[in-house]
Amino acid sequence: MATEETGDQLGQTTRLRLQKLKGQLFEVSLVAATLVGILALLVLFAYISVDAFRPGAASPVWFLAYFGTLVAPMAAFTLYARRKPAVQETNARAFAAVFGGLLLSVVMYAVIDSLSPYDVFTYVFFASIPPALVLTYDRTTDDRTYTGPAIPVSIIVGLGVAAVLYDFVRGPIGIAAEWIMYFGLVTVPAALLVARLTASRRGRRTGAIAGGAVAAGGLAVALASIVAGIDASLPVVLFSGSVVPTSYVVWRSVRTNPEGRVGVVGPFVLIGGTLLGASLVEGFGIDNPDTFLTPNLLLQSWDGLTASNAGVYPQIVGSIVVVGFMAVLAFPVGIGAAIYLEEYAPSSGWGGRLATLLEVNISNLAGVPSVVYGLLGLALFRRTLGFGTGIVVSAAGTLGLLILPIVIVSTQEALRSVPDDLRQGSYGMGASRWQTLREVVLPEAIPGTLTGTILALARAIGETAPLVIIAVATTTYSPPSGLFSSATALPLQIFAASANAKPEFRHGVVPAAAVVLLVLMLLMNATAIVIRNKYGRGN
Amino acid sequence: MSKESETGIGSLQRSGFVVRKERLYARLIAASAVLTILVTVGIILALSGRAFSFWSEISPVTFFTGTSWSPVIAQSYGVLPLISGTLIVTVFSALIALPVGLAAAIYLSEYASDTARSILKPALEILAGVPTVIYGYMALVYVTPLIDSVLPLSAQVIPPGVPVLPEFTIVMPSLRTFNALSASFVVGIMIIPMVSSISEDALSAVPDSLRQAGYGLGSTKFDVSTKIVVPSATSGIVASYVLALSRAIGETMAVTMAMGMSPQMPYFPNVLKNLAESGQTITAAMVQIAGADSLGSGPTYEAMFALGMTLFVITLTMNVLAELVRRRFREEY
Repeated sequence: MATEETGDQLGQTTRLRLQKLKGQLFEVSLVAATLVGILALLVLFAYISVDAFRPGAASPVWFLAYFGTLVAPMAAFTLYARRKPAVQETNARAFAAVFGGLLLSVVMYAVIDSLSPYDVFTYVFFASIPPALVLTYDRTTDDRTYTGPAIPVSIIVGLGVAAVLYDFVRGPIGIAAEWIMYFGLVTVPAALLVARLTASRRGRRTGAIAGGAVAAGGLAVALASIVAGIDASLPVVLFSGSVVPTSYVVWRSVRTNPEGRVGVVGPFVLIGGTLLGASLVEGFGIDNPDTFLTPNLLLQSWDGLTASNAGVYPQIVGSIVVVGFMAVLAFPVGIGAAIYLEEYAPSSGWGGRLATLLEVNISNLAGVPSVVYGLLGLALFRRTLGFGTGIVVSAAGTLGLLILPIVIVSTQEALRSVPDDLRQGSYGMGASRWQTLREVVLPEAIPGTLTGTILALARAIGETAPLVIIAVATTTYSPPSGLFSSATALPLQIFAASANAKPEFRHGVVPAAAVVLLVLMLLMNATAIVIRNKYGRGN
Repeated sequence: MSKESETGIGSLQRSGFVVRKERLYARLIAASAVLTILVTVGIILALSGRAFSFWSEISPVTFFTGTSWSPVIAQSYGVLPLISGTLIVTVFSALIALPVGLAAAIYLSEYASDTARSILKPALEILAGVPTVIYGYMALVYVTPLIDSVLPLSAQVIPPGVPVLPEFTIVMPSLRTFNALSASFVVGIMIIPMVSSISEDALSAVPDSLRQAGYGLGSTKFDVSTKIVVPSATSGIVASYVLALSRAIGETMAVTMAMGMSPQMPYFPNVLKNLAESGQTITAAMVQIAGADSLGSGPTYEAMFALGMTLFVITLTMNVLAELVRRRFREEY
């Protein structure tokens, strides 16, 4: 066959080739554009972490030591686990139990400590008695219509009783040792939880034994620390908040999941590697990095003169207290509003118009700049309600108003993704609207709601401008001691300290504080993304 | 009516308490929804009360046309320098974020594999999740020296020898410690995801039949993306642009920390000088007033609310505009 190319065909091929080239160039530039923002941020993160961590001062042996004890074993384990889904699953669970438990217990200890364990115990005790009574009654009777609504009411009643009796009760309670408060606040709930989880799988008797074992363990830890002559509070909290969940997960995985049981080793490889590396570095006198990410940073209060003494402990606890109380205020309202819009709001008539108005209003609220929320908080809490300047309640309330639209929109999406068949099936079985919502729709929507609420928390913990506007103190030397005491927050300290031009502050301790904030926020985002991927719409 | 059928109906009806309980829950839930309207009302009341008492002391004409903002020292309340600062940051951050965000949206919606998308989308979301105080710190401490190391630049637009005013030489002088360029840079980065995620939603909503029709006519992927998909999604893209600009206008901490506290009227015609100099945005001025000790009274304190009102009206208008654009020009498929 003749394969002579005429000039026309030649032109055609060149044109096609040019078009292909154009397409490729376009795609490359798209990829570049997608990456440019991410890369710029990564470079800036690198700058900030190098300043905080100062790896330059460390000797090469330091890196070698940690590579050998930490990075290489972790990499080997990860590669091994990647090929076995069962191991990976167990590994993820063990990581969540170990580090989640550790984080949770440290946070609980810090918050309860700053709010005074005796006060927290008094309120929690009185607030938990009435619902416990209601639940006991619920067990003994067949007529359960009243118990649902009775529980929140009974909690409020309990809190009211606590407030009234506070002056009489606080004295006698104050006689008891501090660790008993932590035992009641952390160990008892942990024991009840373990008992319940075990009872649901292996019968009531085993459950009671397991719960009793946890409580006995807590007492043993307390006794051991008293004998050793150290304050028993932190050991008790650490035992109940991290040893108990870790052993529960390890025990369950080993017993019930023979294929995946190797996965529980994961977190211990990490911890063991770190300890081994540290002991090697210590033992051979290897030069450490000149890091600003020290225990001082996490445990001390701010020192504007000596960088090595400057810490952000009050600010971290303040951020957690403010954001935690904000969650208590804002999440019920936000989730309630989302439920109304998705499940209750009529689609026509006045109700329908109201629903449209609400939707438009919420999307507009999401676009209001955060400083304006600060002005709202200032006017509402300081002017109208007459609260003091920059207290926890005002800060939490202001941030709560700010994140309300985020919570509503994400919860709405979660509710929308629950298939309608489930609702219809529930109605068909004779369930009422509220029963359907509580038993069918909300459980299905939990992962989506959780993702949205965690993202909202991450947003709130980094928010600065509204707190500056409501005049939260930038530098305080103690964490908030109650809901009506002065608030403080980590981003505010970074803002205030950014004016400090001393090199060891500008390129040292302030970046280190920023790294702490970034780690908090990235952890929250990562948790949200993991939950979303695990329970995403695809599955 | 027989007795049997009456009991039949009776057993199908819920007890009075259940009905009342259902009603109670429905009301509680509706109340929390209505609370969101109260938030808006609260914002408007909180802002307008003090803002109008400010404008009764300082006339709105002086406020909106004054070219000097110096509330504490000179008692002059002209908002134009602040608006100019806000505009400079908004325009230059838009120069970064709008093209980059749209390109990212096209890539994610048209080109990226599922794996790439599942990594890049959360990574882009992180850009919007980083606390703005950290963006501000990075701009102040890292971005400014980094850019300054390549400055000053000067490029003559008009060849030498032609007698014109020296101002028409484009000169990028070296940066001040506080400058608009680094602030605009970080604001640009942080609003990229705003553009990319909303635009991507709009692009993904374009029905596949349009793309297939394009390919059927012999178009390349480039042609399909740029001539079919992007034009069909224009309304969504424009809406994302407006929302991103509104976010840039309301951005506070990054501009406060990186751009400084010295309000300036814009430099002209050497526009690049605006980037090298420090300035002050509306939001930064509010932070400055809130940080000062004058809290609680006086026209300066009330000026904060007047600024807030101005900001609220601007951003609200833009958000409503974005919504209108999205509704009005949406192509129905």
